[in-house]
Amino acid sequence: MNSAHILSAFDRDLESMQALVMRMGGLVETALLDAAEALDTRDEELARRVRAGDAAIDALEEQIHSGCARLLALRAPAATDLRTVLTVMKIAAALERSGDYAKNLAKRTAVLAQMAQIPGASGAIRRLAKAVVQMLTDALDAYIRRDLALAEDVRKRDRDIDQMYNSIFREFLTHMMEDPRNIGACMHLHFIAKNIERVGDHATAVAEQVIYLVTGELPDEERPKVDSTGTVA
Amino acid sequence: MDGMRAMEQELTAGETRISARGVQVWYGQNHALRDVDVDILDRSVTAFIGPSGCGKSTFLRCLNRMNDTVASARIGGKILLDGEDIYDPRVDPVQLRAKVGMVFQKPNPFPKSIYDNVAYGPRIHGMTRNKAELDQIVETALRKAALWNEVKDRLDASGTGLSGGQQQRLCIARAVATGPEVLLMDEPCSALDPIATAQVEELIDELRASFSVVIVTHSMQQAARVSQKTAFFHLGNLVEYGETAQIFTNPKDPRTEAYITGRIG
Repeated sequence: MNSAHILSAFDRDLESMQALVMRMGGLVETALLDAAEALDTRDEELARRVRAGDAAIDALEEQIHSGCARLLALRAPAATDLRTVLTVMKIAAALERSGDYAKNLAKRTAVLAQMAQIPGASGAIRRLAKAVVQMLTDALDAYIRRDLALAEDVRKRDRDIDQMYNSIFREFLTHMMEDPRNIGACMHLHFIAKNIERVGDHATAVAEQVIYLVTGELPDEERPKVDSTGTVA
Repeated sequence: MDGMRAMEQELTAGETRISARGVQVWYGQNHALRDVDVDILDRSVTAFIGPSGCGKSTFLRCLNRMNDTVASARIGGKILLDGEDIYDPRVDPVQLRAKVGMVFQKPNPFPKSIYDNVAYGPRIHGMTRNKAELDQIVETALRKAALWNEVKDRLDASGTGLSGGQQQRLCIARAVATGPEVLLMDEPCSALDPIATAQVEELIDELRASFSVVIVTHSMQQAARVSQKTAFFHLGNLVEYGETAQIFTNPKDPRTEAYITGRIG
């Protein structure tokens, strides 16, 4: 439904909510990439800026929440309009959590900078972060373009993220078994990898919101999961 | 939508009470209603929505043969009430309207006492043998219309002296008094203030325990609040008919979507 509302202020309200979500998405993507770069290059100043930047993401989420509450109260949206408001709120929540993970990554970077480096680890994490951020970017693009095919594609890619995470997990196990002095750093790195993998789940959730927005139905078939670390002895 | 079904608006309705098939209405040359198929369920509220002139009131008026009074109106198709064709020549429209009561946009009590307003229908249908039985019917109808407590001490006062909301509930009591199976309501709240509207909506929700209620409303929020099923009419066609929660969250037809979201259709 692309035609405009008879009441044009309604259109402006809905558009401004979606614009806020897109701005929030941009901040989260930057925070994740910066945090991964700071980890890889041991750039403590960049890590500090990522930590400080999370407040802006949280503030946007609050702004979106109160804007949506106002829209629900004053405009009583129905059908696509209602689904737009509901998905905006869900996506903002997913982005807010993702921003927290970026902040946590930056915090651990400060600790890891004081420890011996694990060869190959930060590069692998940076590649994982890049893949996850691409998922998030595509999920948000799919949202703004109402692109079902792209949303489905993002959902499928979560499988690749799980696989990347699995192999990182195994690598860390190896390092820890080889030398117990690696355990401290590897534990931090593992939490980082797990958090980035969680951002992938949030990107998938955003893609599912796109499907709900366009079709009115949440996808019900279970996504293929390949995270097998739960069964690693 | 599973969550929606779990909510209070869940359909507790029983079987089909009114079944309309291929209903057509012409006013002279004007084809006002085209090929409408609807099943109105027992013990539920069905809302008809749509822009002015879409045919929703025309269809409502078919359900108790109010269109018989319009000389230029011609009606095609079949409307069955409990399996019986209401347009069968053997059906007495006056008896039909006792079974399918109607409440109008503007409260229109008779210029008589509150008691006589409610007693009018039972009297002309000879439903009672003595005053005590009639008293009982009047009290029961006023109680069902949630008006008894407000008027029980002044049943001899004129019905037209009540407030707008009370007058409308008096009209509902009058419709209920003949023991109908279906209540038709044509914009029953559009002349009422928000409090009186809320009282009538609450009443509609209570009435669905005993009746099948069909309401025509211009307020989509009212349709969303009181009904379990919603039918959207547009340009004489029934565009979409479904569970109210589905119509308001995920309508299937783009015309329904355009209308309920306030877009130019």
